[in-house]
Amino acid sequence: MSRAFTVQPGSVHTGVAGRLSDLFWRRPKLLLALMLAPPLLWLGIIYVGSLFSLLLQSFFSIDEFSGLIQYEFTLKTYRELLRPANYDIILRTTLMAAAVTLASVVIAFPISYFAARYARGRMKAIFYLGVMLPLWSSYLVKVYAWKLILAKEGILSWFFDSVGLMPVLEAVLALPVIGGNSLSVSYIGTFLVFLYVWLPFMILPIQASLERVPANLLEASGDLGASQGQTFRYVVLPLALPGIVAGSIFTFSLTLGDYIIPQIVGSSRLFIGQAVYAHQGTAGNIPLAAAFAVVPIIIMAFYLWMAKRKGAFDAL
Amino acid sequence: MTVAVEFKKVSRHFGAVKAVDEVDLKIDEGSFFAMLGPSGSGKTTSLRLISGFDQPSAGSIHIFGEACETAPPNRRPVNTVFQDYALFPHLSIRDNVAYGLMVRGVRKNLRHQEADEMLSLVKLDNFGDRKPAQLSGGQRQRVALARALVNKPRVLLLDEPLGALDLKLREQMQEELKALQQRLGITFVFVTHDQTEALSMADKIAVFNAGGIVQIGTPEEVYHRPRTKFVADFVGSSNLVPPQISLDLGGQSCWSSLKPEALTLTKQEGAKVVGTVKSIRYLGATNRVMIQVGETELSALLSNTADHWTRGDFVGLQVKPGALYAMEENT
Repeated sequence: MSRAFTVQPGSVHTGVAGRLSDLFWRRPKLLLALMLAPPLLWLGIIYVGSLFSLLLQSFFSIDEFSGLIQYEFTLKTYRELLRPANYDIILRTTLMAAAVTLASVVIAFPISYFAARYARGRMKAIFYLGVMLPLWSSYLVKVYAWKLILAKEGILSWFFDSVGLMPVLEAVLALPVIGGNSLSVSYIGTFLVFLYVWLPFMILPIQASLERVPANLLEASGDLGASQGQTFRYVVLPLALPGIVAGSIFTFSLTLGDYIIPQIVGSSRLFIGQAVYAHQGTAGNIPLAAAFAVVPIIIMAFYLWMAKRKGAFDAL
Repeated sequence: MTVAVEFKKVSRHFGAVKAVDEVDLKIDEGSFFAMLGPSGSGKTTSLRLISGFDQPSAGSIHIFGEACETAPPNRRPVNTVFQDYALFPHLSIRDNVAYGLMVRGVRKNLRHQEADEMLSLVKLDNFGDRKPAQLSGGQRQRVALARALVNKPRVLLLDEPLGALDLKLREQMQEELKALQQRLGITFVFVTHDQTEALSMADKIAVFNAGGIVQIGTPEEVYHRPRTKFVADFVGSSNLVPPQISLDLGGQSCWSSLKPEALTLTKQEGAKVVGTVKSIRYLGATNRVMIQVGETELSALLSNTADHWTRGDFVGLQVKPGALYAMEENT
């Protein structure tokens, strides 16, 4: 018996859903466009749009007598940034962000290396839990907890006292600029809290990049005559660099923009985030707030450009 | 002749697993030595013990007379070509090849010059500026080779060097490797699970099974005179002939090996051993004929021009004189 080729009953698409499905099958790009539209609209209008309007605001200025915004293109607000008081804020914040980033690379690298190279099964689960757990609790709770730890009569000074190392703590606090009355009102305190809060954002990208380095590359390096140090310098570090850069983007930009930590822990000198907060709020100086907000963007763009030029992304 | 690598009662145990168990081994300088065996037989672990990526649980390893069980890889006069090449993805081909010279502090222009010479030796001139990702599998293989050879090792270790290449490329590389080894006169030690590769390239083959060496010999010895059933089966797809049939065919009364090409078929009448033709497979110039003899199945490789047999025929069996080899191990 010869059988004609027929479409099996029940497989013919009927109804709206069926016809839509057929349409998408014939025109796969249509489906892609539909799926991409919402995120692109979000990114394009709400995210980039507000960024653009921020940029625009920074080119306006404020009338010093009336306190009203003059909608005229001017660089006056940017000149204002260079006034010693404002310039100090930028410098202070950038230095803090750099110090926090550097320290978190130093602390995160061995942890990430261990997790990527040696931790298996249960150890790996413990690692992820250990790194992520602090992120589950409220940021404010953590910062206030640190205030208690760092306070004059706090846990840390109690600890230093009970092991007889109080003179060391006092010597550290006596350091000019970064020292202070107690850790909780010094730059060291601000630094420690920043370091604690952002550390997971450095550990995870570095760990991910190290995870992708095959073990036999390290063996090959040793086989070709490299010492452990040389293998680290010429193989591990270059291949981990994209992860380090990714992590430092987090720690650097998060520190540049934060306005809560320096308000709770530290000497009461302003950071960029606080300046933005103050200028757009009570002072009502939106143009200056916008100009301040542009600074981290420029710093990050410059940083990424430098990283690219130095070949940080060559291994990608 | 100088001994390049020597194992004395070397063992490597991972917990209860005896990856390598009391292996004795001598590799002569300048030879092309193959470690052949199925996966998990201990051949790769043995290679890693020579390169220094792993340390023996017991026994001693000498490289050119020097005990080196505990020396790190960078202190041994050996270099390795890795199975998946292990090229550094962030370095150019030239810098990959020059790596060993760089870590020894050779000046940049000197080491680049040497790297280029080595690249030209493996026929990759003008590839120096590319990155490993831009090369094909066969080209990467050559880079891995150049990168190891630039250090002028006294022993070159190759871990399944051709495993990732397709058949045609593999055959071409086999010839090139052999030619390179003869030109440079370096001892090559390579690990493979491919018996034809071992047979065609090596001067000497060590057949590994279950953490030990079952037989060491020239390709001819290993192929024609397998010591155990395992070797007969793994190396040559030999027939394993039970004692009674072996005796009837003119051999000794013990398990013997018989190459398919040494078995011929005759008419049933007057033959001491008879069987039934079970299947015939056409292989071009030859036919592979399977014959059932009692419990045993034997395979014969017959020329296509010879007599025609069909399935179900009763046939007599004959072997060429001296083709039956008695094996030492009879289990």
